[in-house]
Amino acid sequence: MKQFIKNIKKFKWHYIMILCGIACLIFFSYIPMTGLQIAFRNFKPGNTVWNAKWVGLKNFWFLQDLEFWRIVKNTFVLTGARFLISFPAPIVLALLINEVKNTYFKRIVQSITYIPHFISWIVIAYILDSFLSPYGGIINQLIEKFGGTSVFFMGSNSWFVPIVTISSVWKDVGWGTIIYLAAITSIDPELYEAAMLDGAGRWAKMKHITFPSIRPTIVLLLILSMPNLINAGIDSIYPLMNNANLEVSTVLDTYVLINGLQLGKYSLATAIGMISSIVSLLLILLTNKIANKVSGEGLW
Amino acid sequence: MVKETIVKKSRKGSSNTGEHIFTMLNTVFLILLCMITIYPLFYIIVYSLNEGLDSMKGGLYLWPREFTLFNYQYVFGNGVIKHSYLVTIGRTILGTLTGLIITGVTAYGFSLKSLPYRKGLMMIALIPMLFNGGIIPYYIQLSRLHLVDSFWVYIIPCMFSVWNMFVMMKFFMGLPEEMRESAHIDGAGEVRIFVQIIIPLSKPVIAAIGLFIAVWHWNDWYSGSFYVSNANLLPLQTYLQRLFNANSLSMLTQNSQIVAEAAAHESQTATMTITSVKMAAVVIGTLPILCVYPFIQKYFVKGMLIGSVKG
Repeated sequence: MKQFIKNIKKFKWHYIMILCGIACLIFFSYIPMTGLQIAFRNFKPGNTVWNAKWVGLKNFWFLQDLEFWRIVKNTFVLTGARFLISFPAPIVLALLINEVKNTYFKRIVQSITYIPHFISWIVIAYILDSFLSPYGGIINQLIEKFGGTSVFFMGSNSWFVPIVTISSVWKDVGWGTIIYLAAITSIDPELYEAAMLDGAGRWAKMKHITFPSIRPTIVLLLILSMPNLINAGIDSIYPLMNNANLEVSTVLDTYVLINGLQLGKYSLATAIGMISSIVSLLLILLTNKIANKVSGEGLW
Repeated sequence: MVKETIVKKSRKGSSNTGEHIFTMLNTVFLILLCMITIYPLFYIIVYSLNEGLDSMKGGLYLWPREFTLFNYQYVFGNGVIKHSYLVTIGRTILGTLTGLIITGVTAYGFSLKSLPYRKGLMMIALIPMLFNGGIIPYYIQLSRLHLVDSFWVYIIPCMFSVWNMFVMMKFFMGLPEEMRESAHIDGAGEVRIFVQIIIPLSKPVIAAIGLFIAVWHWNDWYSGSFYVSNANLLPLQTYLQRLFNANSLSMLTQNSQIVAEAAAHESQTATMTITSVKMAAVVIGTLPILCVYPFIQKYFVKGMLIGSVKG
């Protein structure tokens, strides 16, 4: 105890500084965690999270609701498709950019492909709307030119997932290459020279040197991207939702938001949110464990 | 022997043509990718500079056909948009400053490796990255703190980001230890060391993180949409989000006086469509970022790289 007080005194400024950040976390992360108990209470406006009536597992009735499982399916279809395309895309692009010899061209490609990362999802929704509009949108004009009939993309159930996937790739493929390109440039050039002497071509070098060297980075980003499998992201989904595509565009995130903040079913929404938080945590822990087992490249 | 060299040569020859084809295809692909990246942004600018009714006819690809600035005049003449612009500018400046201060100060506290209990405190900082209470308990907390429907909801909850703190901490840890120590010997306190020695040395990371925070604030529509209902407090992106589903010009302004004014200018309004006005609003909301982007790009990349070093 004496030691404790001595330590605190000696480093008091460091602790005070750290406390600035920790205080923010307490107010905006930890106290909300205690709010999870309203998943087991009947929370009404005017209650605090501590004095609402306990109702046990009553709020979890949604687990027997077919509607809920349809939304779970929507979520995984969307995040799965998006993951399958937008996770490998930056890796491939980084490998391709790395093959460019002309540094000038390389830099231009990088600068341009980073731009969409800074465009908000709202603006992307506008761009999509103007491109895909059945009234004079570019895509439909091209379709009509080639003899097709125009499609109302934004209001179509079958196009929702491809639209979200393509726009996610458009937005972040370039930005995602930064980390991989950094990992590639840190590879020892002697490895390539040695491989060249052994007669290795471009493909062999990529397969036996570049790819294994960036594998730890890939694993790291893989683990970190796991929560995205359950959190579809309100930021990207909500702006594209409309009455016509509601059947496929309702995912767990938007369902929680609409039920909780817009319809006022706080306890139900918290219960759903809690389940998805837990699943997201399990996904990270599980992937980390697998990564450790397979290649010892886990995060911790 | 001779045979072998021949084989080698021919193999080299064929791989050379293979290499050439690959290089060519790669270049073409990357050029195409750049065009796909740029064109949508270019297109909304063209659309916003073209007369609305004319745009509806389609066929607008590379250049405005019936050039007009009226869409912009309309947007700038609109009090609601102007106001939301001010809100966005205000929150971006204030949010970036407070974010930098809180995140930077915390990062400096954590940057002392020998600090007792550092590991435990770090755990406290890391847990929220893995698990959180979700949006509803968060909202309840905001309303308990009277942040809902207040300008401060844009600033206070976003002052600290664990991720940014990590990046800054790593940078501080990379600074030479001796400087801190010699300042200590000279009798400088921690706060003075931080302000007078560390901050001037950390300009690159401060620029990078500051820009990340600023772009985040500029683009955030979410807080405005769900935590604020007072129309006077809506930031630009939230305003654009509301506008997205609007299908008449009166919804655009939310203000009957402006609608009346617009009706008075019937002649001009006739050639204007909701889509082209929307596009002008979007361009105004995006252009600041696109304009400063070329100058600040290197800082962003630097920030990403500091953060990506594992450890």
